[in-house]
Amino acid sequence: MNEVSDTVNKDASPDEDKRVGVFVCECGVNIGGVVDTHAVADYAAALPGVLVTSVNKFTCSDSGQADIQQKIKEHNLNRVVVAACSPKTHEPTFRACIEEMGLNQYFLEFVNIRDHCSWIHMWEKEKATEKAKDLVRMGIERAKLLEPLQASEVPVIDKALVVGAGVAGMQAALDLADMGFKVYLVEKEPSIGGRMARFDKVFPTNDCSICILGPKMVEVARNKNIEIMSYSEVQEVDGYVGNFKVKIEHKPRYLDVGKCTGCAKCSEVCPVEVPYDFNEGFGTRKAIYVPFPQAVPLRAVLDNDNCINCKACAKACESNAIEYEQESAYSEVEVGVIIGAVGFKTYDPAPRADYGYGKYDNIITAMEFERLLNAAGPTGGHIVRPSDCKEPIRVGFVNCVGSRDKETNIYCSGVCCMYTIKNAQLLKEKRPETDHTVMYIDIRTPFRAYEESYNRARNLGVKFLRGRPVEVKEDPETGNIRVRVEDTLAGEMRNLEFDLLVLGTGVVPNEGINRLQQLLKLSKATDGFLMEAHPKLRPVDTTIDGVYLAGVASGPKDIPYAVSQGSACAGRATILLKNKKAITEGITAVVNPDVCVGCEVCIPMCPFQAIKMDEQAGKANVMKALCKGCGTCVAACPTGALEQDHFKNNQVIAQVKNVFRFEEVASPDYPSGAGTHVSPAGGYVDESSEDMGEQT
Amino acid sequence: MSPDATPDTGKWEPKIVAFCCNWCSYGGADSAGMGRFQQPPTARIIRVMCSGRIDPIHVFNAFLEGADAVLVTGCHIGDCHYVNGNDKTKIKYKFLEDVVRELGLEKERLYLNWISASEGEKFANFIRDVTEEVKKIGPSPLKPEGVA
Amino acid sequence: MEKGNVFVGWSINEEVRKRGGSGGLVTSVLAAALDKKLVDAVVVLKKINEFEAVPVITSDVDEVLNSAGSLHSVPSNFAKLIADKGMRIAVPGKGCDVRAIIEQGKRNAVNLDNTFIIGLNCGGSMHPAVTREMLETVYNIKPDDVEGEEIEKGKLIFKTKDGQEHGITIDELEEKGYGRRESCRYCAIKIPANADLACGNWGVTGDLAGRATFVEVNSEKGAKLLQNAIDAGMVEVKEPEAKGIAIRGKIKGVMEDLAGKWKDKVFEPVDDRLALFRKELENCIDCGACKTVCPTCSCGEVSKCTQYHSRADGYKMSMFHLTRFLHLADSCIGCGQCTDVCPADIPLTRLYRRFANPVQDELGYEPGMDMRKPPYFEVKLND
Repeated sequence: MNEVSDTVNKDASPDEDKRVGVFVCECGVNIGGVVDTHAVADYAAALPGVLVTSVNKFTCSDSGQADIQQKIKEHNLNRVVVAACSPKTHEPTFRACIEEMGLNQYFLEFVNIRDHCSWIHMWEKEKATEKAKDLVRMGIERAKLLEPLQASEVPVIDKALVVGAGVAGMQAALDLADMGFKVYLVEKEPSIGGRMARFDKVFPTNDCSICILGPKMVEVARNKNIEIMSYSEVQEVDGYVGNFKVKIEHKPRYLDVGKCTGCAKCSEVCPVEVPYDFNEGFGTRKAIYVPFPQAVPLRAVLDNDNCINCKACAKACESNAIEYEQESAYSEVEVGVIIGAVGFKTYDPAPRADYGYGKYDNIITAMEFERLLNAAGPTGGHIVRPSDCKEPIRVGFVNCVGSRDKETNIYCSGVCCMYTIKNAQLLKEKRPETDHTVMYIDIRTPFRAYEESYNRARNLGVKFLRGRPVEVKEDPETGNIRVRVEDTLAGEMRNLEFDLLVLGTGVVPNEGINRLQQLLKLSKATDGFLMEAHPKLRPVDTTIDGVYLAGVASGPKDIPYAVSQGSACAGRATILLKNKKAITEGITAVVNPDVCVGCEVCIPMCPFQAIKMDEQAGKANVMKALCKGCGTCVAACPTGALEQDHFKNNQVIAQVKNVFRFEEVASPDYPSGAGTHVSPAGGYVDESSEDMGEQT
Repeated sequence: MSPDATPDTGKWEPKIVAFCCNWCSYGGADSAGMGRFQQPPTARIIRVMCSGRIDPIHVFNAFLEGADAVLVTGCHIGDCHYVNGNDKTKIKYKFLEDVVRELGLEKERLYLNWISASEGEKFANFIRDVTEEVKKIGPSPLKPEGVA
Repeated sequence: MEKGNVFVGWSINEEVRKRGGSGGLVTSVLAAALDKKLVDAVVVLKKINEFEAVPVITSDVDEVLNSAGSLHSVPSNFAKLIADKGMRIAVPGKGCDVRAIIEQGKRNAVNLDNTFIIGLNCGGSMHPAVTREMLETVYNIKPDDVEGEEIEKGKLIFKTKDGQEHGITIDELEEKGYGRRESCRYCAIKIPANADLACGNWGVTGDLAGRATFVEVNSEKGAKLLQNAIDAGMVEVKEPEAKGIAIRGKIKGVMEDLAGKWKDKVFEPVDDRLALFRKELENCIDCGACKTVCPTCSCGEVSKCTQYHSRADGYKMSMFHLTRFLHLADSCIGCGQCTDVCPADIPLTRLYRRFANPVQDELGYEPGMDMRKPPYFEVKLND
């Protein structure tokens, strides 16, 4: 590592232990065609601490880099200033270049004289050159204050936690498990499967949903590397990337899952019937029940809120599995990564009685429609209207309920068009005599075979009417639903009557999203879903290292998208799990304990929970593994005890101060050319008269 | 040295210190270059990782060293690379602005602007507009004698 | 007893009643808190002379009972005295002491859960040196002859050793530049509703006038503190007369109106503010005394306002004060301490309030009046 103290001239001024080399790039004519690069280099050469300067046609080329390396060696440089293009593209190149010579990579200062100078002052060559000198001077003074930094490594526990066992979470778990990593798959419901287990068919193929999901659920159950923790919830998460400690609550099923065989004899004898949530409240289940026939694990669960304690189930159970005294159990796991796949819920139109839902019997949601349509559903697959159990002929569908609406949610839920198209098709196929009208704002069918599915629905005779209902009323005699809607394509009002109206309710964030946000300190977007690290380039990462998001938790998605994200999370997570180490940010905040007074102002400033109080010392403490190096806490710290490495106050102030220089002319007793901090005579003012006119 | 070097409204070029965050506004300045959006050579950019790092004391320093205007720039609200750094920037800026105004500096000398990495033209227009405004009011009264 | 209750009370101890002002209630409440181990220590004033006293922390009940009563010319602030002491403590104080203690609490330097604050009504205090000068030039009496002082009906009255009383209206004194410290004149916190107990003689009527203290319970802690003194048999209370409550409210209103007028007068709009600030701060020697004494600042010796500049910079404006103008814009309580200690006689509080008044007004934030976080330290402000 860079240690130059033994070669420092003992008589030298303090600046002289900083041996700066300045490398000015012409970038072909990109810089050289505007900025007088040699004048900049000559100017820099006269500044204190600068031992050598150099102009290259392309500093980033092999020969340009070799020049830097050679001069580092020749002049024993310990700071390198590259005046070229943008650090955003080329900083890594030059950091690597100087590191090869044994210099700490943070001893590089990158000055942008292309994007921020030559390219934007193309017709003001002299002024551009003067500006480039200013920028280089600022860079040199900052470079002299730069300090060596080390990116630190933390070990990664090669196990994963997946929160939520819907189709996205299952996919993530399976992929990780197949790559050989242990996965804890936590699901709050008694069975894995998520929302997809409730769908009747999936678009655009109209496959039976549980028929394709069921085998996957079994695959998850069989996988030796996956430990399913159903009917469980994450209580606490502590730690940081690679080293999360997670406390999980296992809610009581009131039976011994080891003994229970899922035979459901207990259900048969249970005298209590409650609305069956799996069927969206249609039909009933017992107080002790198996969630649904394909449930994994296939075990009963006792709903204690509704149990009347008659003990009939205990008598019926042949394997003596019932345990009425059971309480929540807790376990703790340590994992290196966490994947959040906590899903969503469908928009509930009841509280606002959207379009009369909840007020009129014959208005149902699409999810209710889905369960009615399901052969295992409450009606054995018959669509009937709630008021009189008659099979409807005229069915209306309203789209964008709870979506694309300033009053509810502004966003498009992305799936409602397609499921409505699918639902209309399915009913039409079952009962061709039915008549369907879909009322929509726009029909959105972006992926493979989606548009074809839409065409198919039209060909089947499903009518599409562009318009949002303005009035929905019930005919009290018949229970029929009367809809007044503007056909915006025809430009006329239409009065329609339906036997049944189905609301295409959108996708909204669920409680799990809030919980996960709080547990992991994630951020939420304005739509209420969790936010990814970057919407385009890091769509499954979060701002918390080692935490990823799959599925609808980060915004509405259809099944293939959610599954892809599950796999993507597994892939991203594997980078850490396989390497068994994580590199944490080298640029972090640091506390000077001598100055810190423990006022705790910094703690809420950090969105990454990286600052904790050292209660004993009464001082703030930055946990490097969590710190992302934004420096917000540093700006907030009233004492200056907090500093940001690489952007320390003195480093920033050095730049600020060197924006400016004394003009010799202003001070008559300041002889021209005297002092190294003064700009070389001429230049700035004289030549400005030759400018090609001011930019306006 | 030419005698007409004394700053006057004709010859005098303001100096503007622009604090930019690494992820958005610095990228916006890069994009201005990429798109060759010409602008007066008045701004000197100082890069920090997040606009939340811009300490009001750095802004005071810039004024006291001779800045004719200071720009505080960052990502658009909601786009912060560090979740909500720019929300905190907004608060600090509010206080900074109040102090600078009460101190008696003209409002044309201090700006907050959110500029994304793709908004090169916006960045260039911003520099041009600020330069024009500052030229109208002349050098900062806090500028030390003899500083350019 | 609960939050919101009001009483009129006095000390059982005759000696205390005689020495302390207004029936010695505060002294006895403090002594009872110490005696019954509600706190580990209390803050009392140790009198040096008629015009000066120093606050001390004591655990000695007798010292408390022998401590001074109220003095109008004691401008020291107690907040920093009790900072970082890590003990259960009871402290009496003026509105500005209370505000500063609460601000220190927000900065984690005082544990407010362990701190019982007895607020004292305050119409303003006087600087000891100014008071001495005033006695000589306006009252024409020797400061050392003074034996007691009180404010009655807008007059500041000094009792001299010869038994005579010398009264001049405060308005007249303040016209002449004497009287209350400038910051006290425009201070709007006359009854410290932010303290656990708010005590004072306003609202004590009838026979009890001058012999009892009106006390308002502002918190559960306050109730505990007062109840403790009653249970210990050291204090007696009774319900105040309705007339008393009305009088107290009226005095408060009158004082606040007057403060508002002073505020308008002191902070007249100035056109060339930069010139004003530069001129006022011209003589600043960067000694940092104003920061050291500032009772809301919790920084140590090294802080942002001191670290990043030097006099060699030759700036046209003090970087130190600019930083402090900013840091105190939301947190300045206008206590006047900085003006008091400035060796260059810069009217600092007046300058600081120029920045703080508009910010605090706009944000509706009154530092030290509740537990709201200083807005500068918020993560997000509501628009």
